[in-house]
Amino acid sequence: MLELRNVYTSFNKGTVDEMNLFKDFNLKINKGEFVSIIGSNGSGKTTLLNLICGTYNLDSGAVFFDGKDITKVKEYKRAKHIGRVFQDPKKGTCSNLTILENFALADNKQKRYSLTNAISKKRIDYYRQIISECNMGLEDRMNVKVGTLSGGQRQALALVIAAMTDIDLLILDEHTAALDPNSSETIMLLTDKVVKEKDLTAIMVTHNIRHASTFGNRLLMMNSGEIIMDKSGKEKENTSINDILTVFNEISIEVGN
Amino acid sequence: MNFLSACEVFLSQGFVYSLIALGYYISFHILDFPDLTVEGTFLSGAVAYGLICVNGINPFLGILLAFVVGAIFGALTGFLNVKLKIRPLLCGILVSTMLISINLVATSVGLIGDLTASGETSIPYGRDVITLHSSKVFSFIPARLREFGNIGLRDLVIFFVFALLCKILLDLYLKTKNGLLLRATGNNSQFVKMLSCDPGKSKIIGLAIGNGLAAISGALYTEINGNVNQGMGIGMIVIGLASLIIGISLFKKVKFMKDTTKVILGAIVYQACLTLAQKLGVPSAYNKLIMAVLFTIALLLSGRFKIKGGSKNAGA
Repeated sequence: MLELRNVYTSFNKGTVDEMNLFKDFNLKINKGEFVSIIGSNGSGKTTLLNLICGTYNLDSGAVFFDGKDITKVKEYKRAKHIGRVFQDPKKGTCSNLTILENFALADNKQKRYSLTNAISKKRIDYYRQIISECNMGLEDRMNVKVGTLSGGQRQALALVIAAMTDIDLLILDEHTAALDPNSSETIMLLTDKVVKEKDLTAIMVTHNIRHASTFGNRLLMMNSGEIIMDKSGKEKENTSINDILTVFNEISIEVGN
Repeated sequence: MNFLSACEVFLSQGFVYSLIALGYYISFHILDFPDLTVEGTFLSGAVAYGLICVNGINPFLGILLAFVVGAIFGALTGFLNVKLKIRPLLCGILVSTMLISINLVATSVGLIGDLTASGETSIPYGRDVITLHSSKVFSFIPARLREFGNIGLRDLVIFFVFALLCKILLDLYLKTKNGLLLRATGNNSQFVKMLSCDPGKSKIIGLAIGNGLAAISGALYTEINGNVNQGMGIGMIVIGLASLIIGISLFKKVKFMKDTTKVILGAIVYQACLTLAQKLGVPSAYNKLIMAVLFTIALLLSGRFKIKGGSKNAGA
């Protein structure tokens, strides 16, 4: 469903700091895959997500989504079929709007933002029901400004509203990294549940190797803009955390981390 | 009766200027866009309204035209920023500069059909000109109250009605899907992108509304002035922003009051302070100095703007 073909990207082009990250990079992700991506800092994980979402443009190559070439399609237009949760819990929600208002906005995704009433009373119970599945008590605080919630609560909300409409692809950009260990676990379990329930294709970048190994059905390890490990299905299940760590340590020593 | 006439002055000016402040509520408070276009669009609104009135056309149509003209140039500022990636402050400077010429030419063409704009620069409201004040709609209200210091009741009511009307319409708009999206745009444009919407579009709409309101303010102000002159727009940025910030910070703790109400009250409080200074015998030459000092105090009172607006403006 998603394919990157012969992708080249560089940073600081034309300066002494020019760095070519992706050189003839290729990746194909099939429908229904839950891909975990690990790799050291600077290996290109987040850049990859930004290329998929259209936040960055690529130097050459192409991105295909459901068979269509979306290389030139703007970020906000691609977002129609993509949901994204960021590392920073502040990015996935609107802090000065209430939980209810955040829901109402997200609920209207893929439709026109017209001059009709934003909040539909009929939908409130539905919002409360889906947020109650996070077990955070947020269903009783629908009229509270999101800015007053904790990082974990905001991230739960961001995840729920990102996956609320009929999207094809869920992008998780180190979405548990800024949370405490407990919240991190809660959000990870919630993520797994959402992906399975909605039967989503998902790409998750993480620094938590245990999460990468436990969740999802495909595992990628990246180093300097290249995929150095790609295991899916049974092969992934048979790969232990220690196997992953061994490879990870090798590349870390190579790049001097 | 001196007191009553002083009240009349600050109330009527407060209501008129509250429209600029409501405009800034959208562009500055919600979208965090320091919009300098207002000086130009305030005058454009006045010119549009003045020309409609002196040509004997319905003054209500004049108000509508003022809004449309203001909105067009506000949208132009937004377009320069969003599509051409020019910094907010510069966009405002560019559009308000071009408006100096446009307003002058429009005045000249509207009055005597002279495209070179070498003659007429002001639009006087003669006795026979039908403005809001002399229109049939408001004729049931006594023009002046002789028993109460001869205050101009009718104008006061007109200004109040328009301030209230704009406030209500704005409140309704902000509750719509489009309005909610606008609020989200100012808060988190990445979030808006993930909703598959163009945050630039919301920004342009917001600036159009903001400048449309400033233009209505300019149109109404000509009723106080009795004419349209090309210097009317000067100082409107400070008046609008100060009113907004005073209103929002002074009534920060008042939960039951809507922000738009606070903004209108802020405009009145600001004008009351200026009137008070005048009554205390401060010569009018000091007016702008007092305005700027009051604005500074308002900024200090509201920590939010000191940090947020301050650092942003310094960067732009």
